[in-house]
Amino acid sequence: MSTENEFDADMIETLGPEFTVFVGLLLIMIVPNLGNGTFRIPGTSIRLPWFLGGTRYKAVASPRLPGLLAVLTMAVALFQVVWYLLDASAADSKIISSENGIEIFKVNMFSRIFEAIFFAALLLAAIASLDRLPTGSQKSDDIDVLFNNRRQADFYILMLTSALGMSVVALAQDMFVLFVGLELASFSTYVLVAFHKETRAGSEGGAKYFIVGSVASAVGLYGLSMLYLWAGSLQFDALAAKWAADGASSLSMMALGFVLVGFAFKISAAPFHFAAPDAYSGANSPVAGVLATASKAMGMLGLMRVLLLITVPDADADGSAIWVGLLGVLAAVTMTWGNIAALGSENPKRMLAYSSVAHAGYMLAALTAIGAWNWGLVDNGGDAMDVVVAALLFHMFVLVFFKLGAFLVLGVLEMEGGASRLSSLAGLGKREPLIAVAMFLFMISLAGVPPMAGFLSKLLVIMGIVEVATGTGSLSAIGDAHWVWWLALLMVINSAISMFYYLRIGVVMYFHEPEEGREGALASGSSIRVAIALCAIGTVAFGLYGGELIELCRNAADSLQ
Amino acid sequence: MLVIVPILASILLLLMTSRLNPEAREKFGAPTRMAAFIISLAMFGVTTMMFLGQIGDVGWNNIEFNNFEFKESYVWIEQLGITWTVGVDGLSFPMVWLTTLLMPITIIATWNEKAGATYFPLMLMLGGALIGVFVALDMFMFYVFWELTLIPMFFMILKWGGKDRKYAAQKFFIYTFTASVIMLLGLLTMYFLMDTQTFSMQEMVVQASGANANGVWLGLEVQKVLFIMLMLGFLVKLPAAPFHTWLPDAHVQAPTGGSMMLAGVMLKMGAYGMFRLPISLFPHALETFQYAIMMIGLVSLVWGAIVCLGQTNLKKMVAYSSVSHMGVILLGIASMQPLGWAAALFMMFAHGIISPMLFAVCGAFKHHYHSMEIGAMRGMAKHSPWLATSMMFGWMASLGLPLLAGFVAELMLMIAYWDAYGWLIIFPGLVLAITAAYYLWSMQRTIFEGGEATQPPESLHGDPVPDIDNSEKVAMLLLAAFTILFGVMPWIFLDMMDMWTQSAMKFLFRLGGV
Repeated sequence: MSTENEFDADMIETLGPEFTVFVGLLLIMIVPNLGNGTFRIPGTSIRLPWFLGGTRYKAVASPRLPGLLAVLTMAVALFQVVWYLLDASAADSKIISSENGIEIFKVNMFSRIFEAIFFAALLLAAIASLDRLPTGSQKSDDIDVLFNNRRQADFYILMLTSALGMSVVALAQDMFVLFVGLELASFSTYVLVAFHKETRAGSEGGAKYFIVGSVASAVGLYGLSMLYLWAGSLQFDALAAKWAADGASSLSMMALGFVLVGFAFKISAAPFHFAAPDAYSGANSPVAGVLATASKAMGMLGLMRVLLLITVPDADADGSAIWVGLLGVLAAVTMTWGNIAALGSENPKRMLAYSSVAHAGYMLAALTAIGAWNWGLVDNGGDAMDVVVAALLFHMFVLVFFKLGAFLVLGVLEMEGGASRLSSLAGLGKREPLIAVAMFLFMISLAGVPPMAGFLSKLLVIMGIVEVATGTGSLSAIGDAHWVWWLALLMVINSAISMFYYLRIGVVMYFHEPEEGREGALASGSSIRVAIALCAIGTVAFGLYGGELIELCRNAADSLQ
Repeated sequence: MLVIVPILASILLLLMTSRLNPEAREKFGAPTRMAAFIISLAMFGVTTMMFLGQIGDVGWNNIEFNNFEFKESYVWIEQLGITWTVGVDGLSFPMVWLTTLLMPITIIATWNEKAGATYFPLMLMLGGALIGVFVALDMFMFYVFWELTLIPMFFMILKWGGKDRKYAAQKFFIYTFTASVIMLLGLLTMYFLMDTQTFSMQEMVVQASGANANGVWLGLEVQKVLFIMLMLGFLVKLPAAPFHTWLPDAHVQAPTGGSMMLAGVMLKMGAYGMFRLPISLFPHALETFQYAIMMIGLVSLVWGAIVCLGQTNLKKMVAYSSVSHMGVILLGIASMQPLGWAAALFMMFAHGIISPMLFAVCGAFKHHYHSMEIGAMRGMAKHSPWLATSMMFGWMASLGLPLLAGFVAELMLMIAYWDAYGWLIIFPGLVLAITAAYYLWSMQRTIFEGGEATQPPESLHGDPVPDIDNSEKVAMLLLAAFTILFGVMPWIFLDMMDMWTQSAMKFLFRLGGV
């Protein structure tokens, strides 16, 4: 482990992906403004060209330019992160701290794999959005030249900002820094949700999401202040040490509860999920996909940091974490509620939103299992925690492919216009066989049918829970197993329930006649198809051969502590 | 190889045809069918040569319990200890052979199926996945193929099915999926309770039997819970009462080819799974639940038969008769005797040949008379003698006429059941009478009644009465030939089944018989 506290080349190297995103952000701000503008030296008539303003060059006024820049930025950042992850020397972590010793960022496998999730999701969404935004006012050519990529630039700036915020959350070693990152990402996504301002659903969803989100943030912030009151610091290490020394007090419990509300909103766990279906159905599909994958992973990251780093009991204390019961109930309610609500949704986007609630429930169940581990009684408690954390990481990683992919397919359909309804999927099997196949793969992957990636991830999560519940020794009666085993049972029953609504999509796609005026192939650009193809390949490939990724997730989980 | 080739070929064919426009796809049907037929025929050739000794020299009748031939093992997902392990033994080889036999026959029987460019690749995929289930020796791999069989079948019912196909296909998928996720949880719980975690079925059996020899592996209570969870998955697939309600729906709506594969092989997956996992691993729990299994079997048997009596829909009747016959398998298991187990295994095999014939007859009936009602056609013996003959043959085979394959299994079962349960034999005995009743009654009404004076059925709208196509004739003849072959010479496969059950009994219960 090495510590750096000076801003120099070393730090830029350590925080390479983040700087890439930052540079990309600056480029999107500057490049579309380049023109033949000049600057007159005062008092003279000499005009120096300084390239900002004036009449913009043709190339930089292209509506595709901001999108391409964003795609390039995300691709480079993702490449850097993956390079880091595959590099053998990545095992040691680096800490960026301020001069008085306060740790700000910690770069290790764990934070990097989350960045890989964020960047992958945003990259796919950015690729998919290339053809998605309306270009220009179409009133006159002159105005078009002035305005025709303003909107795109705004969109991609927000996207990259949320990427930056998310990576700050991933790296943060201090609750306050984490909160700043969280807000940076959240505010960008609030705007992104409402970006579709022409539709009523867009503004409505955005407003709802913003109001509920800011209440959740405020509650979280209140919790933070109480945490500070309790421990005198917001450093993870300091909080963990304080917890280990003093144990839980009413103040710290309350503070923690408030902080958890903030994160529970992000992962859309019941009963904080009410804004999610509206937000998802109002946002355009790639953005909704990002909310369901990257944004959710960010919330999970916060939960993991808080619950696992601060409040997990020491290995020599016996018993389980203090929040196990609460989280268990939350998990059970969330997965069941999500699935049952999804059964009745006629809007496929709302259905996907509820399915995403259900998935949040599965992840909470896994977290419960970690907390339930009888730390004092079993030697390899740390191992079991790694296994479950790795399962969670794997789940969130592959979720990017099939959840986002499903949203992208809906995105293709949205380009025809009209609201998102189940019936707009009708006849997709005839109109676009390949897209329909991809959608079917995404659906059965979400449901957890082998050999898709969704099966492997669900298998890993259930395996983790069962391992915690039964231990690996011998168990004389099933009643002796920890009660989290029943969460696993509930999870498989929920998977079976979820089959209903996932299959229904397949049925509608293949066996309903297309609606009036919706026959024939879809007219749409190639970029979103490329993104869907990438998602489909990821879904199948990680399902058939997830070994390397599992290994990576295990290493990452190992570096959490 | 037998697993990978058909699946890859089917994906390739599906991808190739999915880009074509409808007209071109229509034209592509014939070459696709030819390709599928050749591949399935080649697979049949390979398994037959394996059996006859041209490929590998295996003493089929000497394979003991938990020994496997043609075993191959590769690492699949190293991090989880998952391997790609395949092999066959006396339990699985007859099933593999049966699958490869039925695939070409099904393709022949449904030679003129519409949208062939999609249908025949799906058939190949189904066959590959089924073989995968039977040869898998790794728990993970087993489960993957177990679920993979659902997907082609789901689409076959959906696309080529009858009026209520959507309902039937979803019911089929959801019933079996629900049961199998519970089975999955049972498998995983078992995985972690083992002394050394392994996904290899062979090692699991060794571990279990070692512990079972001096005590009860994992403790009786845990064994019971796991046994129930695993059995649930298999009982729904089998299907046994009261979980059988998906089957009549699926069968009635499924296309002929789908029904043939469903009844012929997919139901046997349930029985196969029972033998392979819960019975091999939890003999103590099996002893505990012996009577429960017997009761479930008896209820399926009686219930299925009685429902058959009241059916007016030919295909539904055949479907319920499947439920009834699957009850026989459960009775065989519950008899806890080598003979009874061998009877169950042979029943799986015999029913696997006979029931496709029944469904082929139903399919031809539907195809040519546009109706499934038993009363729709009278005097078939005069109008379409081929179909009438096939129907009569299939019906006779299914009700257990001596010298046909079904009789062997039923006779063995009766003997074993008498030994185990004594006077309770009146129930299966009674059911035989009921079976004969519904089969004879339906035959009498469709084939013979009316005679010369019969009018063609109304569903034909005055068209001339057709007989079955040549392709259907070939398929029926083949199935009939194999039914006779295994009725006259049951020892072809019975010997290796017998060896398996004898050694399994010895291995599991430490004695030569109970």
